[in-house]
Amino acid sequence: MNTIILSEVSVRVAVDGSPAPKTLLQDVSLELTEERIAVIGANGSGKSTLLRLLNGLVAPSEGAVTVNGADSMGDVRQVRSQVGFVFTDPLSQLVMPTGREDVELSLRRSIKNSKERAARAESVLERFGLLKLADQSIYELSGGERQLLALAAVLAVNPAVLVLDEPSTLLDLRNRELLRRTLAGLEQQIIMSTHDLELALEAERALVVDGGRIVFDGGAADAVEHYRALCSEAAAPGEVRGVAAGSSQGKVQAT
Amino acid sequence: MRGRGVLIPNYVRGGSIVHRTPLWLKFLLVAGCGLASFLIVDWLVSAVVLAVMCGLFMLSGAGFKRLVHSVWLVTPILLVIGAFQWWQLGGPVAARIVLNVLVCVVAASVLTVSTPVQALLDGVVSLSRPFERFGADPERFALTIAIMLRSLPFIAGAFSDVRDSARARGLERNPRALVLPVFITTVAYARQTGDALAARGLGDPED
Repeated sequence: MNTIILSEVSVRVAVDGSPAPKTLLQDVSLELTEERIAVIGANGSGKSTLLRLLNGLVAPSEGAVTVNGADSMGDVRQVRSQVGFVFTDPLSQLVMPTGREDVELSLRRSIKNSKERAARAESVLERFGLLKLADQSIYELSGGERQLLALAAVLAVNPAVLVLDEPSTLLDLRNRELLRRTLAGLEQQIIMSTHDLELALEAERALVVDGGRIVFDGGAADAVEHYRALCSEAAAPGEVRGVAAGSSQGKVQAT
Repeated sequence: MRGRGVLIPNYVRGGSIVHRTPLWLKFLLVAGCGLASFLIVDWLVSAVVLAVMCGLFMLSGAGFKRLVHSVWLVTPILLVIGAFQWWQLGGPVAARIVLNVLVCVVAASVLTVSTPVQALLDGVVSLSRPFERFGADPERFALTIAIMLRSLPFIAGAFSDVRDSARARGLERNPRALVLPVFITTVAYARQTGDALAARGLGDPED
């Protein structure tokens, strides 16, 4: 079992033309041990920042993040070897011209022998049903195929935790279903932000992020209900809700 | 869709003599062509070297279409350079300069169509091993080459996308409407690529 701990984490960034920094996340304390965790919330609520903390892509301004005891800043290599990260747009993640080459790139650090590396890449691509597309340009693949390929490239090094930042946002219904089935079959701990509430409902635990704070933490069904209420409230006529830190009035339920 | 304009063609599977030629010899060929472009002073010699390079490209089995495509993308720049050199230094010098650039482009294409990227990266790693004693990381060298190969078509594709957008808004004659978005897109792409590499632990120093 993996244990990810966020202790009183805040993230602030400087904003051009403003003397005060913008708060992206405020006082987040979590212990993430469940196998399937969903993170839901509006655009700009802080979901991506929260996920990026887990891979060391974002440094906490305050507090600390540890993955199985490794600090996300101090032991960043160890953290990244344990936490695979899948971005929303696979094209920003796939570095090489073809899928085969990209998977091999992932394996360059762990497998020095080129034949061994090629064989391993072949088996990874086969596992995800991507072998026939392995030598095609990544630009010739469909959105779903690219997302699967990005997933395969990350899973090639067998991370213990898989973090996905809105992986289904750019996918059509069929590819979304394909991704859902693929994720369901993985043995890794999965932490995923999503706007797809059906996908979120499959999680054991769900976090609702609003205004840089965790405003709900609990079962997926309750979280989705809470999020819907939050959205209805925000969309009420004549009411303007900011996304700046401290604006949320949500209830946090400890699990 | 970004990435349409592929200046240096991707690897084409095959078993030709060019494919089977050792990587160091192909590296030497590219380096030799680069060097020769400074040494050759007769445009006829440049034309012969270009013909040999084109012959090697065809021998690899990558096809005439790919050859024309890789050359076609540099044609506008070569036309500008050629015209300027003609005006400044005369026809023979202009022809020599243009042909020498083409020699380098085709030689690089011969290398990339006949060598899998991973083999190319392994070669770069081996070549840069001697620099390890000075603190250089060979894997970083290889990664830099890989990113360069990936970035060229992206930037070409971004330019194409921006040009289409500018056309749709009737701004195709406004250089700012073309250059600025490409610049911003490229910077954003560089940041995304940096994040993607960092997330995968690529580019971190070796243990």
